[in-house]
Amino acid sequence: MAKVTKEQVYDAIRTVIDPEVGFNLVDMGLIYDVDIDDENNVHVKMTLSTRGCPLHQMMQQWVKEAVEKIADVKEVTVEIVWDPPWNISMASDNVKKALGAG
Amino acid sequence: MFNISREFAPPFKLIAPFFVVGTIFYILSAAALLFISFDYDYMQMGIAGWAHLFLLGYVMMIIFGAMAQLIPVVLETGHFSVDFYYVIFPLLLLGTIVMVLGFWLNPILLSFGGILVLAAMGIFAIEVFLTIKKTDLNTLTVKCVKVSNIFLLLGILSGFLLSLTIAGFLGVDINSILKAHVYAVVGGYIMITIMGITLILLPMFGLAHGFDEKPVNLSFKIMTYSVAFVIIGSFIGFKVLAQLGYIGAFVSIALYFYQIILIYKKRIRKESDIWFKSVLFAFFSLLLSWILGFMYLLSTDYRPLLYGAVWFLFMGFFSFLINGHLYKIVPFLVWFHRYAPLVGKEKVPMLQEMYPKKQSEYEFWFTMGGTLIAGYGLMIGSSDFFKAGVAFLFIGSVFLGTSLKWMLNFGRN
Repeated sequence: MAKVTKEQVYDAIRTVIDPEVGFNLVDMGLIYDVDIDDENNVHVKMTLSTRGCPLHQMMQQWVKEAVEKIADVKEVTVEIVWDPPWNISMASDNVKKALGAG
Repeated sequence: MFNISREFAPPFKLIAPFFVVGTIFYILSAAALLFISFDYDYMQMGIAGWAHLFLLGYVMMIIFGAMAQLIPVVLETGHFSVDFYYVIFPLLLLGTIVMVLGFWLNPILLSFGGILVLAAMGIFAIEVFLTIKKTDLNTLTVKCVKVSNIFLLLGILSGFLLSLTIAGFLGVDINSILKAHVYAVVGGYIMITIMGITLILLPMFGLAHGFDEKPVNLSFKIMTYSVAFVIIGSFIGFKVLAQLGYIGAFVSIALYFYQIILIYKKRIRKESDIWFKSVLFAFFSLLLSWILGFMYLLSTDYRPLLYGAVWFLFMGFFSFLINGHLYKIVPFLVWFHRYAPLVGKEKVPMLQEMYPKKQSEYEFWFTMGGTLIAGYGLMIGSSDFFKAGVAFLFIGSVFLGTSLKWMLNFGRN
C-alpha cells in the first residue's frame, strides 16, 4: 500500500468545479486542510464561499467522491467549517484576476 | 448523502411550473396594460384586476416557487413537507384566474377566487412555519421569513374580507381595509421577504463578504413596526398611527437601500451579466420609486407622483429583481436536475452557459425602455407615451418567456 500524499488529494479535489463561478475548489481557496493518517484515511477540512450555498451537501459529496478515486485511499471524511470565513484573499491569483479582484 | 442533498433541493417538476406560469402571467400582465385605460383611480376594478394578475399571478407565483427552493437554503434544513407545494400551485393558479375574472367580469367570482387564494397562501404559510420549527437558526433572514409570513396571513385575510364585501356578502369599510391589505401584502410580505432573501442572494452571487448588516437589521425592524402601524391605524381609524407607518416605511427602505450599497461595495465578482444588470436597474427603480413616493408625501395629494412611485416599484423593482434572479435560479434548477448526477463522470456545463445571452439582453433592454417610457407617460398623463412604453414592455416580456423556454430545455435530449 503506497502512502497517499497531500498533493494527490489536492489534485483530485482540483477536478471539482463550482458550477456558479467556474473555478475548482482548490484554486478558490475553499480547501482549508487535508489530513492523511498512516492507514491512508483522509480527512478534508473545507469551507464554502457562502453559508447559504444550495450546493452545500453536494460539494461535500463531490469532494469525497473525487478523493475516493485515488488509489489506496481508505475512508474519506469531508468536514465543512465556517471559521475562518472564506474571503477572496484565500483564492489563487488567477481566480482573483478572473473575478476582477486581482 | 445524495438523498439528503435531494431533500434540500425540491424536485424540478415541482418548482418549474411556478416559474412557467408566473412568466405567462407576467406576459399577460404586460399585454393587459395595452387595453387598460388609466384614469388615475386605484379603486377602479380594471386596475384592481390588473394588480392581482401581476402580484398574485406573477410576483407571488414566482416567489412561492423560489421559496420552495430557497427555504431549505435559508433555514439549513429540509422542508417539513415539500409535497404541500403540489397543492399550493393549482390553488394559487385557479384562485388568481377566478379573482382576476371577478374584478374584470363579475364581482361575485371574487369571493370564490378569494377562498382559493386564501387556501393556497394559508397552506404555504403553515408549511413555512412547520419548517421553521425544525431549525434552531435565528438569522435576520429567518426572522424575515417568520414576520413576512405573519403579514401574508393578515394580508390575505384582509383581502378575503374585501372580496366578500365587493361581492356583496359583507359591508366592511373598503378604504381602510384596502390600506391594511396593500401594506400587509406589499410592505409586510413582499418587501420583508425581499429584504431577507436578497441578504442571502446578493452576497452569494456577487461574492460579497464582511459587510456591516446593521442597516438591514434596523430596516427590517422599522418596516415591521411600520406595516403593523398602518394595519392597526387603518382598522381602528387612528390616522396618526397610520401616517407614522407611512413615514417609517420610507425610512426602512432608505436603510435597506444603504445596505445594498454596502453589499455592492464589497462584491468581488465584477462581471456585468444579465443578473447584475437586472438587479442594478431594479435598485435604480426602487430609488426612483422612493423619491417619487417621498415627493408625494410632501405634496398635497398629487396623484401622478403616487402612480409613478407604484409603477417603478412594481414594474421596475419587483419585475427586474425577479426576472434577473430567474437567470440564476432556473439554470441552477436545470443543472441540478440534469447535470449534478454527472459531476465527476463527464464534463458538465457551467451555469453561465445555461441562459440565452441574446434573448436575455433583448428582454432586459426592451423591458427597461418600456418601463421608463410607460412610467413617464403615466406621470404626465400621456396615454400615447404610456401605450408606447407598454408595447416595449410586452415585447420584453415575450423575450423573457422565450428565454425561460430556452433555459428549461437546456440539455434536454
